Amino acid sequence: MRRREFLGLVSPSLLVMLGLLLFPLYKTVEWSLQRVNYGEPGTFLGLDNYAQALSDPRLGRAVLFTVGLTAAVIAVLLVGGYLLAVLVNGLGRSRPWVLGVLLVSYVVPNVVGATMFSWLFDSNFGGVVNYLITELTGQEILWFTDPWANRVMVGLNTVWFMLPFAMLVILAGLQGVPPEVVEAARIDGATGWRVHWHVIVPSIRGVLTFVSIISIMDVLRTFDQLIPLSPQAPQIGNESIMLYIYNIAFQDGGQQLGLGSAINVLLILLIVLLLSPFIRDMAKEARQ
Amino acid sequence: MSTVQTAPPATPSGPIADPGPEPVRRRPRGRAVLVGGMVLLICWVMLSPVIWTAMSVTKPTDVAFLDPPVFTWAPTFTAFVDLWQTTEFHKYLLNTVVVAVISTVIALVIGIPAAYALSRFPGWVSVALLIAALIFRALPRFAVVLPMYDLSRALGIYDTTFAVAAALVAINQPFSIWLLRNFFAEIPKELDEAAMLDGCSRFQILWRVMVPLMGPGILTAGIFMFLFAFQEYLTANVLTDVAARTVPVFIATQLGQTLPMLQQAGAAAVLLTLPVIGFAFIAQRYLVAGLGAGSVKG
Repeated sequence: MRRREFLGLVSPSLLVMLGLLLFPLYKTVEWSLQRVNYGEPGTFLGLDNYAQALSDPRLGRAVLFTVGLTAAVIAVLLVGGYLLAVLVNGLGRSRPWVLGVLLVSYVVPNVVGATMFSWLFDSNFGGVVNYLITELTGQEILWFTDPWANRVMVGLNTVWFMLPFAMLVILAGLQGVPPEVVEAARIDGATGWRVHWHVIVPSIRGVLTFVSIISIMDVLRTFDQLIPLSPQAPQIGNESIMLYIYNIAFQDGGQQLGLGSAINVLLILLIVLLLSPFIRDMAKEARQ
Repeated sequence: MSTVQTAPPATPSGPIADPGPEPVRRRPRGRAVLVGGMVLLICWVMLSPVIWTAMSVTKPTDVAFLDPPVFTWAPTFTAFVDLWQTTEFHKYLLNTVVVAVISTVIALVIGIPAAYALSRFPGWVSVALLIAALIFRALPRFAVVLPMYDLSRALGIYDTTFAVAAALVAINQPFSIWLLRNFFAEIPKELDEAAMLDGCSRFQILWRVMVPLMGPGILTAGIFMFLFAFQEYLTANVLTDVAARTVPVFIATQLGQTLPMLQQAGAAAVLLTLPVIGFAFIAQRYLVAGLGAGSVKG
């Protein structure tokens, strides 16, 4: 392909990304160095916003909450996703139906799914889970105001809508495992979990890594589901990083756009750092 | 690419043994029952928020929120009627569909040529663009959406479906390019060469040879784009006020209101979920194919 043809085919997409992604990013970096309100030119501050962001205990708590949620959810997603994928992979004619049902929580908008999820636990909404737990244990759990109960509920919801994704990717990976290898292991006398642990899991390691990366990126972005699930997130310390940025830069009446932008820039640096191994791999591949 | 249907049926589906060429070891019946029970239980748990919401919104308002909850009631559809009559739900629904359709079509129209070019042009330029797309995919959404808010106000397009659709095209571009590129990479380059010998230009190759071959790939990418646009809360919330509000934003604003409004929000959630269930059934094989293509070669 000639360079001119390449440019012709790529340019519309390139223009959109330059205008609607790169320019806003440039704005974010500029704002992060300013005191600024919406629609007004800002005043230059230097690195003050960064100093303020890093010394804010609320950001520290948000980072802790987000990272803890990410670690817990990824662990459950990998184990649960694998088990579910194996289960679904063994199904026959019922498989499309089961897949369809399992995909519903992945396809429903997060904020809507989380709203419905919250009603299962909300005693104000006659929540059935809430009711059953109270009946069985005699204890009433305050899902929305007790920090740990709330964390468990948010974690359950996150697993609920991300599990289908993990399951689908692992399922796609399972279908790439050569049946001869599994058969050979069976003939050698390996049974049950030993086949999974020593043969199948190692051969889909790439897929499991992919699930982890995408899920980590997505859970780090946690925002939507906290709106219905944790209306008191700032008070009980269950604010995610994104919710924190939203609250200080857009909600709260504070409009601390500069501070929010500084945190955004810090997040971008962190993400690029996390992605650097993959970027290095891609660059290496290109050189060959 | 869609190897979804090729797995052998493992559950004994009838009294006669599987007549396939490879002798499949028959599982004991008890195990099949166990697996079936587990699958049913998992499906039920995964659907329970939807089921519970559907139950709650068909109850009369005075028993819908009782604690302990009631499990027998005379179904009523008042919440749906009220939703339709007292709010502008139809408008929000239309906005959601318009935004999703427009952004999907534009993302595909500009993404297909770019992905094709990236799959056929070797060298560091393509790699640099793909790396940029990967980083763009992973960006914290606010880093681009907050400036877009400012920009859309300055341009006077704030609170229009156009502004939301444009933002979503940009945000979803990187993913669609990655996905489509992986599908294009599976098409042998010899086809391009043959078409060029016949006198086709690059654009003609793309249009006459590639696009017809890419049907499933384009459908898969389209389903993902539509899904992302349809689900988007943050972008729609920041870039809209009332006129261009979408259903997820509407449902979120109904929370913390009076009980009848909560029930209406529930009705809205159910109305939004019903078509989504149908969509999930149609889309499942394409989603598996897309995620397979994205993970194995991405």
